[in-house]
Amino acid sequence: MAADQDTVDTVAALAGEKYAHGFVTDIEQEFAERGLNTDVIRFISAKKDEPQWLLDWRLEAYERWLALDEPDWARVHYPKIDYQDLYYYAAPKQKAGPQSLDEVDPELLATYAKLGIPLKEQAFLAGVQGSPRYAVDAVFDSVSVVTTFKAELAKAGVIFCPLSEAVREHPELVRKYLGSVVPVSDNYFACLNSAVFSEGSFVYVPPGVRCPMELSTYFRINALNTGQFERTLIIADAGSYVSYLEGCTAPMRDENQLHAAVVELVALDDAEIKYSTVQNWYPGDAEGKGGIYNFVTKRADCRGARSKVSWTQVETGSAITWKYPSCILRGDGSSGEFYSIAITNGRQQADTGTKMIHLGANTRSRIIAKGISAGHSSSTYRGLVSVHPKATGARNFTQCDSLLIGKTCAAHTVPYVEARNANAQLEHEATTTRLSEEQLFYVMQRGLSQEEAVQLLVNGFVREVLQELPMEFAVEAQKLVAVSLEGSVG
Amino acid sequence: MTGLRDALLTRDETRLPGRRDEDWRWTDLRGTLRPMPVLSEAVQPLAPFDAPQGVQVRRFAAPATAGTAEASLSVAAGETLVLLDRVEAGEGPYARDLALHITLGEGATLHRLVLAADSAEAVSMSLTTVALAAGATLHQTVLATGAKRQRIATTVAHPGGGAHARLDGAYLLSGARHSDQTTILDHRGPGGSSEQLIRGVAADQGRGVFQGRITVAEGADGTDARLKHNALLLSGRAEIDAKPELEIYADDVACAHGNTVGALDAEALFYAMSRGIPEAEARLMLVEAFIGEIVERIGAPALQDAARAFLADGLEALRR
Repeated sequence: MAADQDTVDTVAALAGEKYAHGFVTDIEQEFAERGLNTDVIRFISAKKDEPQWLLDWRLEAYERWLALDEPDWARVHYPKIDYQDLYYYAAPKQKAGPQSLDEVDPELLATYAKLGIPLKEQAFLAGVQGSPRYAVDAVFDSVSVVTTFKAELAKAGVIFCPLSEAVREHPELVRKYLGSVVPVSDNYFACLNSAVFSEGSFVYVPPGVRCPMELSTYFRINALNTGQFERTLIIADAGSYVSYLEGCTAPMRDENQLHAAVVELVALDDAEIKYSTVQNWYPGDAEGKGGIYNFVTKRADCRGARSKVSWTQVETGSAITWKYPSCILRGDGSSGEFYSIAITNGRQQADTGTKMIHLGANTRSRIIAKGISAGHSSSTYRGLVSVHPKATGARNFTQCDSLLIGKTCAAHTVPYVEARNANAQLEHEATTTRLSEEQLFYVMQRGLSQEEAVQLLVNGFVREVLQELPMEFAVEAQKLVAVSLEGSVG
Repeated sequence: MTGLRDALLTRDETRLPGRRDEDWRWTDLRGTLRPMPVLSEAVQPLAPFDAPQGVQVRRFAAPATAGTAEASLSVAAGETLVLLDRVEAGEGPYARDLALHITLGEGATLHRLVLAADSAEAVSMSLTTVALAAGATLHQTVLATGAKRQRIATTVAHPGGGAHARLDGAYLLSGARHSDQTTILDHRGPGGSSEQLIRGVAADQGRGVFQGRITVAEGADGTDARLKHNALLLSGRAEIDAKPELEIYADDVACAHGNTVGALDAEALFYAMSRGIPEAEARLMLVEAFIGEIVERIGAPALQDAARAFLADGLEALRR
């Protein structure tokens, strides 16, 4: 069925047509030389004061990258990227290592204020009682500008800092875990990232610690012709819990910009990581000019027994999205979740989904993906659920729904299922009415129509996920809740 | 589409599709034919035999080494054809590639049952393309017991306009048999409908593959397309791979797919056993009921009987 007018309006207001974060910050920046070669990699490594092992690691990744081919299996089309025509490093010029906010360039602070990202700790400490607090690592092009609440987090034993700082301060942790979830030559873009990654966040939560506040990273691309290659590494030690959020924006430009990130999560015994993304990179204009190419590798390794990783993503931006946050369910009894809302408009193309690899016994996974396409855009859900012979008792539930608004857009669903254990239970659903007949019946006998009932139930479910996000993120994402699921196709 | 044909004709094994080809990831033919067999004869449809009233039967005998055959068939406007295709097992290893091109005229109806029996060492591919006219009805049921590699592919060009396509299928796999049912349903015009129900059972080291793609072209509004694949794994060494795809370019459509993979219902098994039925027997009963639904959906009674007999043999193989 076609979407109703409300839905059309909501989506139109949401995506593409009004991009509020499209301004450029005019700030003096320094760049690596244009193009990619071993000198540029040495330059990046030297800028970050890296040890020899990491430089070697980068150079080896570069060698391997040269031998790889760009993947072409995703349902996205874009002109060939000239990897020699990019800057791989850009950083605002500033005095070395600002110790406090006072030393950060006011122009940068203004940028974040304009984006609505609070970098002042006291703003929250003195705020309304009970208002949520969260620590922010603000990444501007290739460097981290500031990380807030570090001291308070340190009291709990939590390490939260830019990755380059972690390389210096906690080399043993970085060396142990970096590349252990996403190997260097995992795929073309991850390999490129391994060679030139610039900044990202590092989180370590010690055994038994429940991280006292939400952690977040705000990625901002500012410089022209610059790729952003962040790398995030999160380790939740036995019995710990951490919730992490990321947000992304970029200026409106006519050129396409490349963003190739790698995110690695490691959850040990009984640990839980909740990872949320509100991706709002510049999607390009209505004719498809400009916008970010978002080629991201995100993977979680549920290494420990009963560990849990939950991915939540709200994808509204980027000209091209190529992104499959995945869970390797290695530990017995571990579980993975993937909740996704992907909205495409204009000429956007999104090929996104997840992989749930069940290796351990009694592992569980749940996939809920909602794709909404409008304008001339195309949205693809691509997912894999794989159950290995030792994963006795594995359970999976997958539901992916798509909504098309208008006659010129496209929605695709490409789920792969591989089952190699006779005591596994896998379900892939595509119809909304199957969500829960009982709940539907209950709501409908209260006088709501089926459509209203489905909306209410799904919105209720989505809201439950969104409530986990802090205020700024939730407000942005909340608008999506209004999008009805009427006319969903599998 | 089947790829094997090229390789057989040229005797060039590098032309065999393998797991690196997206559409062949679970039906890897690489290395299955070494050395490449010489074509023995073209596979010829044999004369009809014991045809029940009003039913056309075509038998495809197995080639001695390798064979390919291509045929076409059309059902004129308003006509009805009941067709039974028997693909028969030979002994030992052989390779075959069958292609059948079917055209249905306006308002024509085709009931087709494919019974694919192959030897355990065979590499057996078949492709059926169907072009429907407005108001035409296609009811196809494929029953397969697998081979070393077996693929039964059906592509339907669907014009909409009140035409209806039903592609059902079932596979019963024991030993180390593999069976792949692949369907592509291409809705090109407004007002068409299609449904697919595929049930599969893999025991021992059997491997069942289902790939189903539904495409709805721009302008094919009012399309109603549904697809369901349910599979049972009866052994810890069996495998089921499935890829139900939707590719939608129109907004006023109702498309759905469902896919489940699991074990036999433990509760149903317990119930049957509590009634004094031995476990092995109870399992077969549940499998029979699970697959039986496919047979019950067959519209032509004569075909139903043939399907039942074929399934009984397949179940017998599971018992051993």
